[in-house]
Amino acid sequence: MKKFARALALTMTCALALPVFAQDKPVAGEVKEGSLKGKTLTFVSYGGIYQDGQVAALKEFVDKSGVTLLNDGPTEIAKLKAQVDAGNVTWDVVDTADLPPYVHCGTLFQKLDLSKLDVSKIPPGQVGECSVPAMNYGVVLMYKNETYKDNPPKNWVDFFDTEKFPGSRAIDGSGDPTGGLIEQAFKATGGDPKAMTPDDIEKGIQKLRDLGPDTIYWKTGAESQQLAESGEADMIMMWTGRAMTAVKNGAAYTPVWQDWLVVMDQMTIPVGVKDTDAAYALLNAYLGANAQAVLTEKTSYTPINTDAKPKVDDATAAFLTSTPERNAQGYQQNIPFWVKNFDLAAEKWNALLSGN
Amino acid sequence: MTATHDEGLRVAAVRSAFLSRFRPRGAVWLAAPAVLVLLVVLAYPLGIVVWRSFTDPTVGVDNYVWFFQSAVNRTVLQRTFVVAAWVTLVSLICAYPYAYAMTIVGKNVRLALILCVLVPFWLSGVVRTLAWVILLQDSGVINSILRGLGLSPVKLIRTLPGVVIGMTQVLLPFMILPIYSVMKGIDTRLLQAARSLGAKPWKAFLQIYVPLSLPGVYAGAIIVFILSLGFYITPALLGGPRSILLSSLVQNQVLSLLNWGRGGAMGVVLLVATFVLLALAAPLMRQKHASSRREA
Repeated sequence: MKKFARALALTMTCALALPVFAQDKPVAGEVKEGSLKGKTLTFVSYGGIYQDGQVAALKEFVDKSGVTLLNDGPTEIAKLKAQVDAGNVTWDVVDTADLPPYVHCGTLFQKLDLSKLDVSKIPPGQVGECSVPAMNYGVVLMYKNETYKDNPPKNWVDFFDTEKFPGSRAIDGSGDPTGGLIEQAFKATGGDPKAMTPDDIEKGIQKLRDLGPDTIYWKTGAESQQLAESGEADMIMMWTGRAMTAVKNGAAYTPVWQDWLVVMDQMTIPVGVKDTDAAYALLNAYLGANAQAVLTEKTSYTPINTDAKPKVDDATAAFLTSTPERNAQGYQQNIPFWVKNFDLAAEKWNALLSGN
Repeated sequence: MTATHDEGLRVAAVRSAFLSRFRPRGAVWLAAPAVLVLLVVLAYPLGIVVWRSFTDPTVGVDNYVWFFQSAVNRTVLQRTFVVAAWVTLVSLICAYPYAYAMTIVGKNVRLALILCVLVPFWLSGVVRTLAWVILLQDSGVINSILRGLGLSPVKLIRTLPGVVIGMTQVLLPFMILPIYSVMKGIDTRLLQAARSLGAKPWKAFLQIYVPLSLPGVYAGAIIVFILSLGFYITPALLGGPRSILLSSLVQNQVLSLLNWGRGGAMGVVLLVATFVLLALAAPLMRQKHASSRREA
């Protein structure tokens, strides 16, 4: 009862001071003035334009809360594991790829207490047990205009059809297997991705292998962009951000949006951080409409707050994945399947990538 | 360098005589700082790696069984040694005449040649590798020139030769410098003596000069070979799936799959294989080294 009274009093005080804070439930993007004065948070992401954009998105949070925000990176799950194992976690909020928060939920990443976050504006199906999305982007198939002219590929099935669509292919070989791509490869063999079994992973991988020895497996986003700008490959599997930059830089390629693969980076709080509440405050601020608009303007990635109204140029707008049309064309990989079969898929994928 | 060769030899002889007579026992402590650093940054982490390879996730040799049961690992391990051998060979072919040239040209040209060797040392490996991407790719500089000349383009990037070219350029200084440092100490009057005794120039070079330069060749070859075994960035960027080396697989296990025990086992296998190879080559080198010293 006493607790309730105090909460009530606090609520009343807040209500008098600043009406927007008059709820117990957090509101995405809102920060209590001076609430984290003297505290320090370390935010970890992948560096480059992306992390700069995230820091810009968090500027309001930093200014208002008084927190000192430190940046580190790039994100490496192995480093995080080392910190968690040693019981000395210095990374407070970590941006990761799609699957790690699912694979290491509860061991490396905290199960999130959703009463401390406002997830109401996040697009459906994107909040995990241990993660909220950091942004959305897509993986698209980009084809070279000069090669295919009037008869361009229309979907991933065409990507895997080297008879009807001859030419070299470039695939994301930067890290973990892309589940969505293997599902599409399996589909190209005549299988049904919805009913995929672990044995079917090899069938999908074999389809990729069948693309031939000239297939390029790019190692970094920059490399994929370079491939497009120099016209090195006829079809390139690309991240939308890189695809947009390549097109802006004059790459004569066209995206195929049918079944573009939905990808998200994840925001997580590692197990064992020193100040969990401060980390939640950062996450909640990050999910705000304004913060997300800033993020999109700086990075061209798609915001994950449906109220965000970023002002972007036409080239950027063409590659945003949040329009109703894009939502209808997107293809979402079967996350539970890939989480469950992560090791098997990684093993087969690594065999493919090392020429076996 | 200012002393003539004879003086140098005399000084060395006196010094070795001195050391063998009064070998100061405390001298071993001079190595203490280096030993300490090696213990902390090499022996300790290596110990952890070995320990993990036998204990993570279960105690035993599971990680090693896994390594040798996997066809991928065996192929890539073998490929790693083959690539290292190629890089060593190509480096040697490029470095030997270069180092020889450095010993016979004038002072200014020598300075220029040394600069050419050292400048790549000052550039980041990634930058150099990306430069190679631009040169070697299908739409790159080399193939544009070939096409311009009406020749058919060659496949360089994402092939083993492409990787060997890129790695050779990075590792060339490690071959040139040891060879040069031995060559510059060779008394060229020995060649004149051989010629005066009737040897043809070519024969004098092969029978007198080359054996004397072998210690440098062995030193350079060992350094280049061992460094090649651990290469990661260059094969990743210049190579395709068929030129991935073992370090990439280790990186995958450690950073992506978090199987530190397996990654450790892979590292240990590579290390042991390297030691075995060196142990096999060592007697040969010792013999040559000794004979060349006798000749000197």
